[in-house]
Amino acid sequence: MSLTRIKAILSQELFITKRSLEVIMDLPVFSIISIVVFGFISLFLAGTVESEIAYYPLVGIILWEVVRIAQYSMSVGSLWNVWSRNLSNMFITPISTAEYLIAYMISGTIKALVAFLLASVIAKLVFDLDILSLGLFNLSVFFLNLIIFAYSAGIIILGLIFRFGTRISALAWGLIWLFQPLTAVFFPVKLLPPFLQQIAYLLPPTYIFESARGVLSGQPLNWNYLGVAFVENVLLFGLSLWLFSLMFRKSKETGQFVRNEG
Amino acid sequence: MSGIILQVENLVKRYGLFTAVDGVSFAVPKGKVVGLLGPNGAGKTTTIQMLLGVTLSDGGTVKYFGKDFAKNRQYCLQRINFSSSFNTLQGRISVWENLLVFAYLYSLKKPKDKILELSDYFEITHLLSQRFWDLSAGQKTRVNLVKSLLNDPDIILMDEPTASLDPDIADKTISLIEKLKESRELSLLYTSHDMAEVTRVCDEVIFLNRGKIIAHDTPLGLTKRISNATLKITFDGPKSLVEDFLKKRNLCFSFHDPHVVNIDTEEKLIPETIFGFSQLPILITDIEIKKPTLEDFFLQTARGSLDVAN
Repeated sequence: MSLTRIKAILSQELFITKRSLEVIMDLPVFSIISIVVFGFISLFLAGTVESEIAYYPLVGIILWEVVRIAQYSMSVGSLWNVWSRNLSNMFITPISTAEYLIAYMISGTIKALVAFLLASVIAKLVFDLDILSLGLFNLSVFFLNLIIFAYSAGIIILGLIFRFGTRISALAWGLIWLFQPLTAVFFPVKLLPPFLQQIAYLLPPTYIFESARGVLSGQPLNWNYLGVAFVENVLLFGLSLWLFSLMFRKSKETGQFVRNEG
Repeated sequence: MSGIILQVENLVKRYGLFTAVDGVSFAVPKGKVVGLLGPNGAGKTTTIQMLLGVTLSDGGTVKYFGKDFAKNRQYCLQRINFSSSFNTLQGRISVWENLLVFAYLYSLKKPKDKILELSDYFEITHLLSQRFWDLSAGQKTRVNLVKSLLNDPDIILMDEPTASLDPDIADKTISLIEKLKESRELSLLYTSHDMAEVTRVCDEVIFLNRGKIIAHDTPLGLTKRISNATLKITFDGPKSLVEDFLKKRNLCFSFHDPHVVNIDTEEKLIPETIFGFSQLPILITDIEIKKPTLEDFFLQTARGSLDVAN
């Protein structure tokens, strides 16, 4: 494991982020717009229901942005190199797959953390929601679980792109939205139809969003939910690495890996 | 085997029923330039991709510095590099930023010094702050060459490094490659469609066709396999005399105009033919011998009109 090679990918991420309007729009700008929209929805609801429930959408979107940004960073980071026909250049250096993925996880974590802090500040200043009222420890555990889920989703999507080519690159920023209703980001899981509830409980973020709403409503942290989320996350992360490795190998066997660059 | 940098044995790649590379074996000695030639679809690029590990082979072994590439990937990749006009660097970021990323990927101890040294050598220092996609094709090629030398490689695999360059820039690029070869005892595996370039740069040429090596020799050795040459004689005198002389000798010829004749003949018969001409009552004003080139070899082999085994 070489820290210098991880630094290489992080440096490239920084250089691209600085110079790409797309990244600036997709990450901070889109996050801010989402926080503002859901903040106003919460303000509207505050006049009709009890204040804790009114803040479900705002807390949901703040935590959801952690998932979206970390997954985006993981999957789209490589696409910048595919689009520039630079990806195979990167993989003919001594960098290992583990170093490559770890670098993108670090990058995703930093971006998600920045977005989370920015969203928290806006929530406090504009919508009078102190996210710290959920508890710093609780927030850290929520953040950790959500980000592991985001890595798993990002790694699987990246593997699919390597395997099947850039014709499915829209999955890099589009597929994650499928999980927003399924993980009950803004409402209790019990509102979902029973068969969807079964799917929801297979997904770690569901337990995190349920726990966060519970804490917001004044209940103690649901350790059972956290335990299940963590176990599911570990299994999903392992599965994602196995699938990525399988798809990466297949991509190199079929010649798709170099064909991705046209 | 200490002088062998790259050893390829029985390399195979199949895509379904199609065999792209079929049992290719060759070696690249230290300090030598080996050209990989062949028509489109011959398997050159697939071979290079397997040698770099971005495409997996279906059989055979690749050894760099005596070590199995599949088992010593990181060790080997630290000492090899690649340059191609088809792969580019990250377009959105500057040349300096791109080179810094690769310097880190190769874990260089003094990355900035190395970038500046090579940028000076390839005269791209003034381009360092420019975004890569704003550069011209020639400038991109030079930046790619800087990238390919960052880790002081023992061997560089070059896939058509001068494709899409204008003749002047291509010539400058070749000069740089020649300079590198002499100054660093660098080994190169080189593919190109420009036969003059290959003749100029390569010590050995491997000719691939339909995934198989069909010839492996020096550029001169390959051209020697074509026995025919063209003799062009310009003369002052009656055309009929020359015609009669050539017909008697059963030579294949054609007149461009009444005073210029092209004669296709075996190379060894040229002195005798010229001597015969000198005995005719005509004035020979010019003699030109067009010997076979690597391009002739390429064309005849690709068209199947040459038995390369001879």
